[in-house]
Amino acid sequence: MRTILAIAKKELTIFLTTPWAWIVFTFFSFVASTFFMNALTDFRRAHADVAQLSGGWSQVEPEFQFLRNLTDGVVMPTFSAMLMVLMFLVPVLSARLFADERRQKTFELLMTSPISTTQIVVGKYLGGLLLVSLTIALLLVYPLVLTAYGSSFSAVTSEKTSTLEWPTVLLGFLGLLVWGAALLAIGTFISSLTESVIVAIVVTFCVSLLLLLVRILAPGAGEPLRSVLEYASFEAQLRNFMRGVFDPRPLVFFASLIAAFLVATHRSVESRRWV
Amino acid sequence: MAMIEVEGLTKRYRDRTAIDGLTFSVREGAIVGFLGPNGAGKSTTMKILTGFMPATQGKAKVAGFDVFEQPLEAKRQIGYLPETPPLYPELTVRGFLEFVAELKAVPRREVRREVERVAAATGVTSELDRLNGTLSKGYRQRVGISQALLGGPKLLILDEPTEGLDPRQRNEVLQLVKGLAGKHTVVLSTHILAEVKAICEQVLIIHRGTLVANDTMAAITGGRENGLEEKFIQLTAN
Repeated sequence: MRTILAIAKKELTIFLTTPWAWIVFTFFSFVASTFFMNALTDFRRAHADVAQLSGGWSQVEPEFQFLRNLTDGVVMPTFSAMLMVLMFLVPVLSARLFADERRQKTFELLMTSPISTTQIVVGKYLGGLLLVSLTIALLLVYPLVLTAYGSSFSAVTSEKTSTLEWPTVLLGFLGLLVWGAALLAIGTFISSLTESVIVAIVVTFCVSLLLLLVRILAPGAGEPLRSVLEYASFEAQLRNFMRGVFDPRPLVFFASLIAAFLVATHRSVESRRWV
Repeated sequence: MAMIEVEGLTKRYRDRTAIDGLTFSVREGAIVGFLGPNGAGKSTTMKILTGFMPATQGKAKVAGFDVFEQPLEAKRQIGYLPETPPLYPELTVRGFLEFVAELKAVPRREVRREVERVAAATGVTSELDRLNGTLSKGYRQRVGISQALLGGPKLLILDEPTEGLDPRQRNEVLQLVKGLAGKHTVVLSTHILAEVKAICEQVLIIHRGTLVANDTMAAITGGRENGLEEKFIQLTAN
C-alpha cells in the first residue's frame, strides 16, 4: 500500500510541476464557464417567457419542464456537456503515465525495484485518478455560486427555483467521476503500449471518438446489434445519473470496464520484459 | 558464500543471440570488472541479473535467490545503476531519492536520514533541492549512484558508471566505488580498462556474448604493466 501511494504521489507531483495539469485545468474551467453562462442565459430567458404566460409553468411542454429549477435547468446541462469535454482532456493526462517512463528510461528503475507490476499499475492509475478528480472538482464552483446567489432569480419567477438539490448535483459529480475514471483506464492502457506521449494522446482520442460513434450508430442499427450498442454507449449508461436518479448498473458497467483495462495494462507492462 | 551465481545464461532476441551460455560466480565483497567491447552483451547480462528481463535459458542467483523464481527477494539485494541514470527530470534530487527509498521499503522514519547518507556519500548534498532536469551529466551520474546505494543493498550493479564524465569526475566516481568495497559487492561494467585496473580484483571479459576470461586481476595481467590491455585485445580479436 505504501508503495502504491508513493507512486501515486510521484505521479501527482510530476503532473503539478509540469504544464500538463495546468493546461487541462485552464481549458476545462474555460469551457465549463462558457457552458454554464449559456445554460444560465437560457434559464433566465425561459423564466422571463413563462412569466408572460397566463398559466405559468403548467402550460409549458414536458420536454422544457427541466428549465423550471436551477438544478435541472443549469447545473445538470453544464455537467452533461462536460462529459464530452472530459473525453478530450483525460487522454492528455493519461498519456504520459507510462509513455514518459519509457522515454526517460526510468521504466528500468521501476521494473528493477522490489515492487510488483500490480503496484506500479495501481499506483499510476491512482495518481491519475486524483488528478482527474481535481479537474472535475473545479466544477464545484458553479453549484456553489448558484447556492450563494441563486435567490436573485426569485425576482424573475414566482417558482421556488432558487435552492439547489444537492443530492442531484452530487449524483452528477459521481457520473462525471465514473466516466473520467473509465477514460483514464483506457488511456493508461494505451499509454503502456507506446514510448511517445503524442501517439498515446492521439490514439486515446480516437478510441474516445469511437465511443462517441457507438451512440450515433445505435439508432440506425438493426436488432440485436442496436441493443448492444445502446448498452455500450456511455451516454445511455450515464443518463440516469445526469437526471439525478441513482442507478447501480452503470457503476458495475464502468467498474468492469476499468478493471478490464487495468488488467490489460498489467499484461502489457509485464510483456515489455520479454522483448 | 557466492553473491552472484550464473549458470548457462543465454538470451536470444528474435534474430540474434545477445549472450550465450554464460557461467560465472562472484564472491561476497568483491569488486568485479565486467569488460567487453561495445555490444558484447554486458548490459543484457546486467538487465537479467537485476530482473529487468528474463533469460531465454539458464539460471541466475543473487544472494541465493533465483532472479526469475524469487524476483522480489532478489531485487531487494540489488542496487542498480542502468546505462542511462533513471532520473525523473521534474523531481528534485531529494524528492527523487525519497521516492526510490519508498520503493525500496526503507523504514519511514529512516527515509530522510538514508537520503542524506547516500547524498553525502556521492557528494550531491549541495544539489538536493535542485531539479534533476537541471543537473550536469556528472551530477546525474552521481545521483544515479546514490539512488543505487539507498537501503544499503548487498550487491551493486553499475552499468558504465563513468560513461560521459570528464577525467576528474571519472576519477571521483572510481574513488567512490572503491570506497564501497567491503560493505558491498560491486559489479561494474565498462570498456575503459584503466578504470578496471584501478579498482577491481576480479575481471570478467565477455566477447560476442560468450565469456572469454574470468580470473583475478593478478592472474590476468601476469604482473605486466600492460597485461590487461594485451589480454583484452588478444581475447576480443575476432
